[in-house]
Amino acid sequence: MVADRPPFEDLYRAYLGRIYAYVRAQVGTSADAEDITAQVFMNAYQAYARFEARNTTPAAWLFRIARNATLDHFRAHGRRERLRRTIEHQPVAEEDPSGVAEERIQYRALLARVAQLPERQRDAISLRHSGLSFEEVGTLLKCTEDAAKMLYHRAVKALKEAVEKETV
Amino acid sequence: MSEPEDLELEALKRQLDDAFETTRPRAGFEDELWTRMQARRPVGTRLRDAWLGLVQGIREAPGVPMAAIAAVLVVVLGAGVLVYSGLGHGGSTATSSAGGADSAAQPAFLGSPGAFGRLPAPVLSAGSPPRFNTGVAPSATSPGAAYTGPVALAWSGKLDLTISTAPVFRYHEPSTNTADQFATSLGAVLVSRPAGYLGSYQTTDFSVRVRGTIQSPPREPSYIVLPIASTGAIDAAGGPADVALVFLAERSLAPSWQYTSDVVVSGDVSKVTLMRQFGVTGYGYAYLVDGAGERYGIEVDVNGNRPISATGPLPLSLDTASYPIISADEAVRSALASSPAATTAGVPTATLTTAELVYSMVVAGDHSFYEPSVLFSGTFTVNGITYVKRVLVPALDPSQRSS
Repeated sequence: MVADRPPFEDLYRAYLGRIYAYVRAQVGTSADAEDITAQVFMNAYQAYARFEARNTTPAAWLFRIARNATLDHFRAHGRRERLRRTIEHQPVAEEDPSGVAEERIQYRALLARVAQLPERQRDAISLRHSGLSFEEVGTLLKCTEDAAKMLYHRAVKALKEAVEKETV
Repeated sequence: MSEPEDLELEALKRQLDDAFETTRPRAGFEDELWTRMQARRPVGTRLRDAWLGLVQGIREAPGVPMAAIAAVLVVVLGAGVLVYSGLGHGGSTATSSAGGADSAAQPAFLGSPGAFGRLPAPVLSAGSPPRFNTGVAPSATSPGAAYTGPVALAWSGKLDLTISTAPVFRYHEPSTNTADQFATSLGAVLVSRPAGYLGSYQTTDFSVRVRGTIQSPPREPSYIVLPIASTGAIDAAGGPADVALVFLAERSLAPSWQYTSDVVVSGDVSKVTLMRQFGVTGYGYAYLVDGAGERYGIEVDVNGNRPISATGPLPLSLDTASYPIISADEAVRSALASSPAATTAGVPTATLTTAELVYSMVVAGDHSFYEPSVLFSGTFTVNGITYVKRVLVPALDPSQRSS
């Protein structure tokens, strides 16, 4: 075990909830979020031997895997459903009772609004509110720290307008 | 940008913080996924971990003669190979058994029926005094008064219990190390270890105390959070329940398990209870109850928009195993058998009208259990006062009992 690399289980226990919340803000159902989260940690577990703590933080490394897994999910089977939901301006799909009770209603509605933002805005909000620094958000989105701040600011304004439009 | 718009954006950001902090996977998902990941490890990796765990365990055992170590090594290594290769019963538990001091933090998911062996019986307050029903009694009687005389029981409800097995949940007794890790996750530092507690901790704005399992009445390891006086009001539109949830979420204490919330107002103080539930395949969700049948979980006292205190179960990983349970008819017979005959002169009869599957705690040394029970409820009237009668019946099949 490399001295500066924590046991994988520590990472798993520390980040599972945050990764799940990030993924949940991207997709429509808790079932999809669970599937993608599982894939994220399966991939991370296999790749952990190659993780270099001096090059990146564990958070940034895990969220990069999560972002890629989410994009793969959309590419594989989510794009059409996602587009339909956006066009129809629907909230998230109906879920099983455990999923419905899992989250508070208003927060679920807010995350559903986040999920309907353009991809980069959605990512900026989700990554930032998952605890990443603007520098880490910028690295993941392949832009500068300042550009990440600007993108995030615009995303929050867009979200506010979407919420206001919904409540009018 | 105008100041009001700035404020609105800041409010939205706070909502986003709360939304992301309180959005978590369902209870049990964390351990299920970890077990799946462990099961997919190559056999060679499992053997290596078994060896490292064994060596570590020997290092931590002081004063053991080398000959004894050698003898134990042969036996345990053989067992370790079986367990870690996944050939032994409950192979996925390998990591926890080799984890030494950390094993309590990484228990395994055991799907095989009866994996915990025979289980101790719960200590249920079947004879707990019926409680005054505040909804119908005259005001002259003090709320909460108990009826201490004998009560005959009758049953006129319908118990919808079509399942034949139910999960039993087990946790390992937390160590001071576990309590310290929990406190660290809250950003709190150790202050002392008072008698009866695993530790007392503090941050700049709240103090935390953590204690282990209580034997009687049975109660799982828990924490109590007391905000320091300077804690400000929480801006939450939804009333005390939302204040409580925001307070918990801000301290990473939002429950990862299923719950429903209940608010009881008493003067200026509202007691918010997030009543814990366990998922039971084929049944739905069953509440956790104490020996008197009262639902419980996390409790937060709120005065206005200011949390006063919060207490709840210490977050611990749970192992699960499926066990056979008694039928609905057997549960009803057990409930009625606990009372004197309905025809006894002068003995009031409580008619039990509702029944549900619940979970109750059973303390058993270094690990304890949440076991299924059936909770019956009904009312009876004496001298114009209506009382509530509850009866808890252990639901595990008697063949699974250790005593």
